[in-house]
Order: sequence, then structure tokens, then C-alpha cells
Amino acid sequence: MTEGESSAKVITHIRETDPAEPEVPFAEVEAVQAKEFIPVMKETLTGMIQRGLEAATKPVFNWAGRNSLFPLHWGLACCAIEFAAGFGARWDGERFGVVPRSSPRQCDLLIVNGTVTWKLSHKLITLWEQMPEPKWAIAMGNCATGGGPFRTAYSVVPGVDKLVPVDVYIAGCPPRPEAMLDGILRLERLIRERKG
Amino acid sequence: MTGTALSLSELPSALAGKFPGKVTPVPGRKDMLAALKVLPEAIVPVSQFLRDQGTFEHCALVSGVDWIDRIEVLYHLWSDEYKGYLELSVDLPADEPHVASVTPVWSGANWHERETWDMLGVRFDGHPDLRRVLMPEGYRFHPLRKSFELREPEELEVKARHV
Ligand code: SF4
Repeated sequence: MTEGESSAKVITHIRETDPAEPEVPFAEVEAVQAKEFIPVMKETLTGMIQRGLEAATKPVFNWAGRNSLFPLHWGLACCAIEFAAGFGARWDGERFGVVPRSSPRQCDLLIVNGTVTWKLSHKLITLWEQMPEPKWAIAMGNCATGGGPFRTAYSVVPGVDKLVPVDVYIAGCPPRPEAMLDGILRLERLIRERKG
Repeated sequence: MTGTALSLSELPSALAGKFPGKVTPVPGRKDMLAALKVLPEAIVPVSQFLRDQGTFEHCALVSGVDWIDRIEVLYHLWSDEYKGYLELSVDLPADEPHVASVTPVWSGANWHERETWDMLGVRFDGHPDLRRVLMPEGYRFHPLRKSFELREPEELEVKARHV
């Protein structure tokens, strides 16, 4: 095989393209690639900025949120007396930034403090859904945790976790105000660990 | 009604005269002025008579008792004139008990009858709005019946709904 023959062969080899594939001028390829590239890059950059901002601000919001939990001022049964005592002068729950509010729109914590009956269940769900995210729920007392002394009664919901997602359960019939405050502090720890 | 009111001693004879064989006194109730057993078909006219002539203007309570073989519905009436209660009771069959409503006579009986329907399943014919009052709509039992047994909560579950 001579040298000329070999180089000619190389050239033919290069020119052997797929006939089905139309030849696209180089400039056009560039333009198409740029069109795809710009939005992708834009998305990546904004995503990075968003994630960066979120990462920077999340701890702040988390800190602010967990230190000013506003429970809904909603008393159901005997446990509500302990709830009231917990925010009275002696135990003073407000020193933890926990301030009971009267409207579910202003609340991020639902403390279910008493016996929930089937008749009441849809009201409980309505209140829960009226609260803005992020929100948490505490089941206070045996009734809210699992029906308590009325578990087998014909009218009582055996545990409010059948209706709303509960984060912290407080045992006792009724739990002392200290136990309720401990439950709230545990929820604060939970929120800090979740970092969300 | 005080002008035409009968005195307490006249009342039994007046009732016996007006509703022969329909009203029988139940002896041995010391805490009431009187206790009367009324036939179910006569409850509305007897109530009307007691309200207008007997000054029993306040229907204090409608409730029921499940005696297994029968269902007894009780009406406690208060009279300001006699300063005391009168008890009426009707016996109903245990399966599908129903009796005429006294809500047209005393409007206050409305929710009492609804509660008796809710808890014992007694139908009050002619009641303007016979719905459950303590249990949610869609509840499948009448829980104060003796045949109602304690059961697992799952069986009782009512689908929570928004109103
Ligand atoms: S747990 Fe006990 S104290 Fe609390 S609501 Fe139930 S019965 Fe009352």
C-alpha cells in the first residue's frame, strides 16, 4: 500500500457520514446549544442562590419559630384547666414565648387538651386546616393520646392521631402544667432537630 | 289558664272522664304529684288537656328507658300552679318503637325528643326535625339500647367531614 492511497483512504473515512443525518452548519449548532444552555444555566444559578438563601435563613426562621410557638386557645375538657394553669402566674408558659392565641390563623401549635368526641371531630380538623404552615400538634393527656378512660365509650375518638398528625404526646390524666411545658420544650427540641 | 284550671284533686277524675281506659295511675311515686301510664295513641290529646286545663305548661324532660321487652318513654311536666312534677309514661314495642310527637304541644320538647331518638331510636311521628343531636350524622347505633355492646373503636368510627 502506497502513502497516497493510505491518505486518500483516511479522507474517505472521515467523509463517511450517516446519509440519513442532515448536515448542520456549525454556527447553527452553536445557536441551538446556546438556546438550551441559557435557561438551564439560569435555573441552576437561581436554584443555587435560592438554596444558599434558604440555607442561610432557615436556621433563623427555625430559631424564631421554635421560640415563639403560638398555641390555639382551645379548651376541651379537664386537661384545659391544667393548660390554663400552665399559662397562669404560677407556671407562666409565656416566659418560653408560648402565647395562646384565639384565632387559628395566628397559631402554629394545636394543643388538643381534652376528650374529642366523634361529633367534634370535623371541627378539630377544620381548626387544624385553618392554621398556616408550618404547624405542629401536641396531644395532651390520656384522652387525646388514646381515648383515656373513655376509650371504649360510644362517642369518643380513641386518640386524636386518627384525625391530625401529632408530634408530641403528653401522658397523664391530667398531666401537670410542668408536664405540658415539658412537652412544649420537647417539641422545640424536635423542631430544632428537624431543621425545617 | 289559671281561671279555668282544675284543682289537683279534680284532675284524676277529669282525666278518667275524658280519656276512659287510656290513662292509668302508677302507684308508689312519692316524689311526683302523680305518675300516669298513657296509651301511646292518647299521648297528644292527654298532653293538650294537661297543658290547657291542668296548667302543666312546662315539659321539663322527655327521656326513655329500655326494659328489653319494651321501651318506655317518660315525660316530666312541671306546673307552676301546683308546684310539682307530673310524670307521663308510654310503653312502646321494643322493635321499631314510635309514638306521636308532643312538640306541637310544648315546643321545648323538640330537642328532648331528638335526644331520645338519638340514644334509644324511638321515632316521634310528626316531629318537625327529627335529627340526631348528640351523635354525628352517619352514626350507626342507638347507644343507650341494652342491645348495644361495647365494641372496638374502629367499628364506631364515623368518617370525619367538614360542615
Ligand atoms: S386525660 Fe383525664 S384530665 Fe385530661 S381530658 Fe381526659 S379525663 Fe380529663
